[in-house]
Order: sequence, then C-alpha cells, then structure tokens
Amino acid sequence: METQIPSRTLSRPLIWTILLGVLGAVLFSIVPLAVSLSLWQRLTGFATVFLGIFIEAIPFLLMGTVASGLVEVFISQEWITRFSPRRALPAALLGSLLGLVFPVCECGVIPLTRRLFQKRLPVSTGIAFLLAAPVLNPIVIFSTAAAFGWGRMLAWRLGLTLLIAVTIGVVFSTEKDISNIVRLPPSEIELPVLGTHPEHESIGAKIGRALVVSTGEFFEMGRYLILGASLAAILQTFVPQTSLLAIGSGPLLSVIAMLTLAVVLSICSTVDAFVALGFVGTFSFGSILSFLVFGPMVDIKSMLMYLQVFRRRPVFYLVLLPLLMSLLAGIAFNYLRP
Amino acid sequence: MNKPYRAFQAFILLAIASFLEVKLITGKLDLYINIRFAPLTVFAIIALVLMSYSLMRYSKEESEHEEDEDHHHEHSHSISVYGLLFLLIPVLIGILIPARPLDAAAATTRGVNVSAPIISSAAQAQSFESVADQRNVLDWIRIFNSGTDVTPYIGQTADVIGFVFRDGRLTENQFLVSRFVITCCAADGLAIGMVVNWDQTSTLSENTWVRVTGAVEPYQLEGQPVPLIQADSVEVVQEPEQPYLFP
Repeated sequence: METQIPSRTLSRPLIWTILLGVLGAVLFSIVPLAVSLSLWQRLTGFATVFLGIFIEAIPFLLMGTVASGLVEVFISQEWITRFSPRRALPAALLGSLLGLVFPVCECGVIPLTRRLFQKRLPVSTGIAFLLAAPVLNPIVIFSTAAAFGWGRMLAWRLGLTLLIAVTIGVVFSTEKDISNIVRLPPSEIELPVLGTHPEHESIGAKIGRALVVSTGEFFEMGRYLILGASLAAILQTFVPQTSLLAIGSGPLLSVIAMLTLAVVLSICSTVDAFVALGFVGTFSFGSILSFLVFGPMVDIKSMLMYLQVFRRRPVFYLVLLPLLMSLLAGIAFNYLRP
Repeated sequence: MNKPYRAFQAFILLAIASFLEVKLITGKLDLYINIRFAPLTVFAIIALVLMSYSLMRYSKEESEHEEDEDHHHEHSHSISVYGLLFLLIPVLIGILIPARPLDAAAATTRGVNVSAPIISSAAQAQSFESVADQRNVLDWIRIFNSGTDVTPYIGQTADVIGFVFRDGRLTENQFLVSRFVITCCAADGLAIGMVVNWDQTSTLSENTWVRVTGAVEPYQLEGQPVPLIQADSVEVVQEPEQPYLFP
C-alpha cells in the first residue's frame, strides 16, 4: 500500500508533462522556419539567463538550508526561549540584527526563519530577521561598500532596511500564534536520531543528520528558486527593458521603475549592489536606494518561497508593507535631495 | 519506502553537482556568471556531494533501524517523487539547450547602452592607463563617460571586437560594436556599444562578430558624449572565447 500512493501521485502529472512536451514539439515543427529560428534564439537567451540566476543563487540557498539544518540539530528550543526578549520592540531589533551572526541572503533566510519559528522564536523577531538579514549581514555590507564606498548609499541602505524590518516586526507582534503565520511544517523537517543510544549521538552523526534535514529543505525551496528564476528569465527575454529604463526620469516613475526591476531581476542581495551601480548614471539616488532596500526583501523567487512557508495573509503584508515603505522612502529622497 | 526515495534524492543532488562541475571544468561557467563568483560554485559542489553522502549513510542506518525494531515508521514525505524531479529542470535545460552567450537578440529586449557603469576608481584608472589598441569597448566608453577632458584620446586608433548591433538612434552608415558586461550573472547582463562609422555598414548582418579598427572621434548620442570609430577596416571574426566583459 505504501508503494502505491507515491506511484499514483506520480503518474498523472508525468502523463501531462509528456503530452505537453509532444504537443510543444509538434507546434514547434509546424511554425515557419524564420519564426522558429528567432524563437530558438530567444530560447537560448532564456536558458542563459535562467541558468545564470540558478547557478548564482544555488550556493546561497545551500548556505541557508545547511544553516537551518545545523540550527535544527544544535540549537534547542529552550535556549531560544530563554534568550528571546518578550517586548515587541527589543524583539524586533534583535531579529533585524541577527543577520550579523547568520550571514544569509534572501533565498537562504526563508528556510532558516521557518526553522527558528519552529523553535519558538517570537513572531516579531522572526519577521524582522526575515526582512533585515539579507542586507544587515557582513557579506552584503562589504559588497555594498565595495560598490559604493563607505558612504551615504551604504548608510541609508542599512538604516532604511533596519527601520522597515523593525517596523514590520512590531506590526506582526500583534499576532501571537505562530500557526497563523507559518504553514504546517512538513514531517521531513524533523528527523529522528538513529542508533541505540540517541542521547549519545556523535558530532559526526549530528552533522550528518543536519545535512539530511537541509536536503529536505533544499528540495522544497529549490523548486521555488527554479520557478522564480524561470519566471524572471521569461520576463527578461520577452519584455523589453528599454521601455522600463526609458521612464528612468521623474521622481515617482523612476522609483517605480527601479522597484519593478528589483522584483524582475531577482538577483541575490549579496551582489545586487554591483548591479545597482550600473544604474547610477541613469537613475536618481532615491530610486537606486529603493532598489537596494526592496530587492532583498521581495522578488519573484522569494515571493514564491514565502507562499510555500507562510500563510497567504502574512505574505500579502510581507510584500505590501516593504513595497509601500521603500516607495515612500525613494520618493522622499527624490524630492528632498535631487 | 524511505530507502529508494532517499537514494533518488542523493542521485539528483549528485546530478546537479556534476552539472556544475562539468560547466566549471569546460570553462562554460562564465557564460552564466561572473567568474569572480566561481569559488561559490565550488562550495556548492562540495555541499551537494556531502549532502548526498549523508543521505545515503542515514538511509542505510534508517533501514537497519527499522529491521531492528521490527516495525515500520509511517513516514510521509512532504514532496512527492514528482516534486523532486523539479530540481532536475536546470540540468535538463543545460543539456538540451546549447550554451550560448547573450547576443544581439537579447540586446534587442534590453537595449544597448552608450554609457557604462563606473565600478571602481581602480578599474576606471586602468581604462585610462591602458594602451590605445589594448582598450576594449568598455574602456573607451568609460573614458568618454568620465567627464574628464577627452582631447588627448581623440585621434588615437581603436582596435576593438564586438558583435554588430543596429540601433534606431543611428544613421544608415553606422552600427554599434557591442559587448555584454556581466556584473554578477547573465540576469544583469548589460549591453554596451561604441558607434562605428563605416560606409559598407549595410553589408554586415546583425550579431556578426567583428574587429573594428579606426580613429576615435567624439560624438553625441542622446545628449551624451560617446566615442565614435571612423572605421578603416571592419573584419568579420570568430566569436571570442570570452564573449562577455567583466567590469
């Protein structure tokens, strides 16, 4: 009986895939050669961008899931409960600075946050960590400094991220019940200790178990990375960016253009500063700042991962609140310091 | 039922690891990411191999454990076998679709810039100091973008390689000799190009790789000062080993 269930869930989608594949091949063979040639060229372009995002993101996703596995095995729930502040503001502040200890980017932070929630981390701490850690961590601070120097852009990026993360963390503190925020965890997330003496697990066995836990998460999150990367690559291949960059001027539209770009590009927060540098001539300070603050919190692949881990309503707020706050900040900068 | 499931997971992890390894060894990795980030890929390969090793070991212990205790754990997996297959998509795309660098087709949707990102003062200085015929498209554009006096550079002979891109902003006898600049990965690929004046422009087809030599002149495009090459010769060349420029 055990073997029947997986095979049944497997068969139907597999048949659909084969059918779609055959249909696609038939369609491809009947379209005129000129069209299929340009389509082929587009397809190779899509593959290059897709694999670009995937290859660049996969080490960071692995770091996040391995960190999460290690937390599962080595950090106890009691320990977290003992050190967590009870009041909302200190809890959110602690959460937003936790990234300095756990250097993760936006792909890795999501499984790690869920793991910490499971170990009873307070809601506001976890949410602030989720939003701030992709920026407020040593790697990103150095990469931003390498791109923009130790100056205004770095200071405002860190300051604004901290402000937004703490604010939203405090907003979320009104929700005490974690189950209203996080979806029910899959059984995979915890693994029994094997062997005759579970309490005497060796350090090697512990690390091995952590890696098995992180494998489960890697497969879970990897699907959304792949889905997000392909969406971003499709958008980049078929939607002209020239029109987006053409609206680069204007205090409001420039911010909207850069926020859209942050979502569409879906690049990792550890390297986005170098990319933003490319827009310095074309875009205003405020719009680039909003790109650097919003991109690490929300992009196509992180939105898909949010939907896997969190319930719909929190995801709605996790996207909307950072969007509005970075939009406001960007516009304010454009008006106050042109 | 755990054992085949875990074995399959381990197989997929190893497939991804070997896919990355092959790209790394064959030097194809730099079609996708800035080679500066290659150490991260090495880390990923090691992590994936260690993970699959741990999986196999754990699964072996697991099955021994189940035999010992003579009862079966009701173990449901959060992801079906079909869900696991998702992770093979990048590998399949990498195998089925030939690896091609970003080209003129991609430049059409992205647009070609005549100004360049200023990455660091060190890179900037390098562009200025290099010998005229050693400069690439990016170096020339940086010089004309920097806002410094470009008079000493006018009349120098440029010798650059790039792909042909026709731009609506240009006249009939002009084209852009273009390159993609990759900051971190292909997703942020930025096409840049120098204007070339050549009376036989109409004979060139888009996306052909060419080597352009000729004197550099100042030119204005969309109100920006950009370098223009009065081409003495334009010869069709092979696509270079490294089609991108890394700032």
